Amino acid sequence: MSRFVLFGCAAILLGANPRGSPADVAAGAATFRSHCAPCHGFTAEGGRGPNLTTGIFYHGSSDADLLANISDGIAGTEMPGLFYSEDRVWQVVSYIRSLSARSHTASNGNPEAGQSVFRGKGCAQCHRVAGEGGRVGPDLTNIGQMRSPEHLRQAVLDPNADVRPRYWVVTLTTKDGRDYTGFLMNEDTYTVQFMDLKEQLQSMQKSDLAAYRIDKTSKMPSYRDSLGARELSDLVAYLSSLRPAPLRADAGSSR
Amino acid sequence: MTQFIWIILTASCMTAQVTSERISNADREPGNWMTYSGNYQGWRHSALDQINRENAGHLKVKWVYQMPTTIFVETTPLVADGVMYVTEPPSNVVALDPATGRQFWRYRRELPPKINVCCGQVNRGVALLGDRVFIGTVDAHLVSLDAKTGAVLWDVTVADYKTGHSITVAPLAVKDMIVCGISGGEYGVRGFLDAYDAKTGKRRWRFWTIPEPGQAGSETWPHGSAAWKTGGAPTWVTGSFDPEQNLLIWGTGNPSPDWNGDSRPGDNLYSDSAIALDADTGTLKWHFQFVPHDVHDWDAVQVPVLVDDEWNGQRRKLVYWAHRNGFAYVLDRQTGQFLRGGAFATQTWAKGLDVNGKPIKLPNTDPSAEGTYIFPGVQGATNWYSPSYSPQTKLFYLAAWENKSVYRKGEQQYSPGNRYIGSVPLIDLPDDPGTGAIRALNPKTGERVWEYKLLTKPWAGVLSTAGKLVFGGSDEGYFFALDAETGKEMWRMNTGGIIRANPVTFMSEGKQTVAVAAGSGIFAFELTQ
Repeated sequence: MSRFVLFGCAAILLGANPRGSPADVAAGAATFRSHCAPCHGFTAEGGRGPNLTTGIFYHGSSDADLLANISDGIAGTEMPGLFYSEDRVWQVVSYIRSLSARSHTASNGNPEAGQSVFRGKGCAQCHRVAGEGGRVGPDLTNIGQMRSPEHLRQAVLDPNADVRPRYWVVTLTTKDGRDYTGFLMNEDTYTVQFMDLKEQLQSMQKSDLAAYRIDKTSKMPSYRDSLGARELSDLVAYLSSLRPAPLRADAGSSR
Repeated sequence: MTQFIWIILTASCMTAQVTSERISNADREPGNWMTYSGNYQGWRHSALDQINRENAGHLKVKWVYQMPTTIFVETTPLVADGVMYVTEPPSNVVALDPATGRQFWRYRRELPPKINVCCGQVNRGVALLGDRVFIGTVDAHLVSLDAKTGAVLWDVTVADYKTGHSITVAPLAVKDMIVCGISGGEYGVRGFLDAYDAKTGKRRWRFWTIPEPGQAGSETWPHGSAAWKTGGAPTWVTGSFDPEQNLLIWGTGNPSPDWNGDSRPGDNLYSDSAIALDADTGTLKWHFQFVPHDVHDWDAVQVPVLVDDEWNGQRRKLVYWAHRNGFAYVLDRQTGQFLRGGAFATQTWAKGLDVNGKPIKLPNTDPSAEGTYIFPGVQGATNWYSPSYSPQTKLFYLAAWENKSVYRKGEQQYSPGNRYIGSVPLIDLPDDPGTGAIRALNPKTGERVWEYKLLTKPWAGVLSTAGKLVFGGSDEGYFFALDAETGKEMWRMNTGGIIRANPVTFMSEGKQTVAVAAGSGIFAFELTQ
């Protein structure tokens, strides 16, 4: 049965949120801080996970959607489920709803103009969207689903703010005198695997290396000084728009 | 010793039954591995030396047994009288031919759909006694199986799985009893240790690891509160047995909720403690609490290592214990008295230990709403994976971690069967995941004799042998043999699967064999001809 059919049934059966009192909101906030804040931020305005204060949720904005997504997690994303009773999850839903009151407008940029910025500023030399572009930087095909606009804005202005280990920079010299720089793909006690700057996959024994260093900083330059405010908004709007096409309820698979 | 004698020894045991006496004298038949730690003293050491420093480079895979599971395989294989017994997560048992890895029988447990186990539906192994095999299950039953067929002889409920009780520990066969611990420290269980009649499954005794109001130790829980009923202190790692004193020495886990101690002011006995119980009655003889009022989840779930040795010029019964909190301890085994202790890994929470072994806590080290960075991390400087003691080198070997966590304090509301942990700490910092090592300590001084560095944190135990080798594994999937005196690597192999188990060694068809679980398989190694 498709997930959407399940959600649909849940919405019909569950109806409205039964735990919406101020006390429930406070209890939900406590749960949120313990369980959700590590990704969504202590103010719920996003981090590695999306901003939850806008009232708009990509995976469904109904109470039933939120209940299901918090309880069970969201497949294909880093969102895990909670092991709590429905009542307690409803409290978290109430807390999240209470945040929409202080929501601000989402990115007001123009995605089409942002796409031109993306092309014009050379982003595609390193980043790939839908199979086009470079490979050494993160693939951005679905980045709008993975990251909040705030996080994307920060990543453009300050690439070092959050560098995934996959993009840490390997610099090494082999004992026979060859130099390499690349992006860390895997490492263990004895070996290292990386993509060099020519997009070649490399694997080396550490015992064959004369020098070996890993920098936890990004190779990407900051665009703080090279983008105008408008260009930045447009670029963020474009990146935010990069999402897989939403599944249609009537097109669910029969798995 | 010659191969010929081994064949005779192995053959002569083919029809024997595993008895508590045989386990007590495990050093006399190193061809078998009859109990979790190899002997009752928790040494995980073998007198076998066919594989040694000189020839370890010639080790190769003898066979692999693959399990149809995606759960971490944490089992310690037992080998007795020509059969290997391993558990297959969640709660199955398989009997194998130790020479070929081929299956004799398989016990497959049907489980209810919703079982709460904090950290995976794992299992660490069986116990053997008589002609029976014993397994604790994740739905909190203890089951006795026929060693020849796997048929169920009895199946008793240890506790209710719906309240977060589960069993992952390998039971311990002692005298005519099966001693079995419980898991559930993340679900607010009240911990206990049980002993069951091996023949009938009837419970002989239960020791509650949290005293009820009025009992000794209850003053370490808040007066007039029900916190003790949901206070944790489970017993999820196999303990040791001192036959001479008839004492079981066992470790207890964290108090619940883990990272918020507001509802449980006091030391919270007997959480995070070594407890010594009379094996016949389950009566507490002594205890030593490593972490009073723990708020970091630093269970005392390590295998107690029991050694008789000189201490300040006198022969003394000792317990060596490297604890999750980053300190290694020496205790007197007759009284539980603290003799010495010191850090074996980086720790930033205590100034040291006082004369009684109590930690001198540093300020601002408790979990906080905004998060507190502390070494060691939530999973400790070591954990459940076994250490090893070699009577030959008199060194204590262990897998150690250098890492920190961000400890967050949060809500602490109890509801039966749900997590009761008082926050979710950031366990692994993505950009600072920490490193690991195999370390050799002089247990009497705490001095580090050598270290074998690992890039990542190992969840695998260590095995020492009379071949002057220490075997260990890593999360990277490597299994390796080190020189027991220097830590120098003598051999390694990439198994291709995460190793989260303890190695064992035994004789099969006249050849010393080393076995360890890796990925979802059991790997057996022997020397090439």
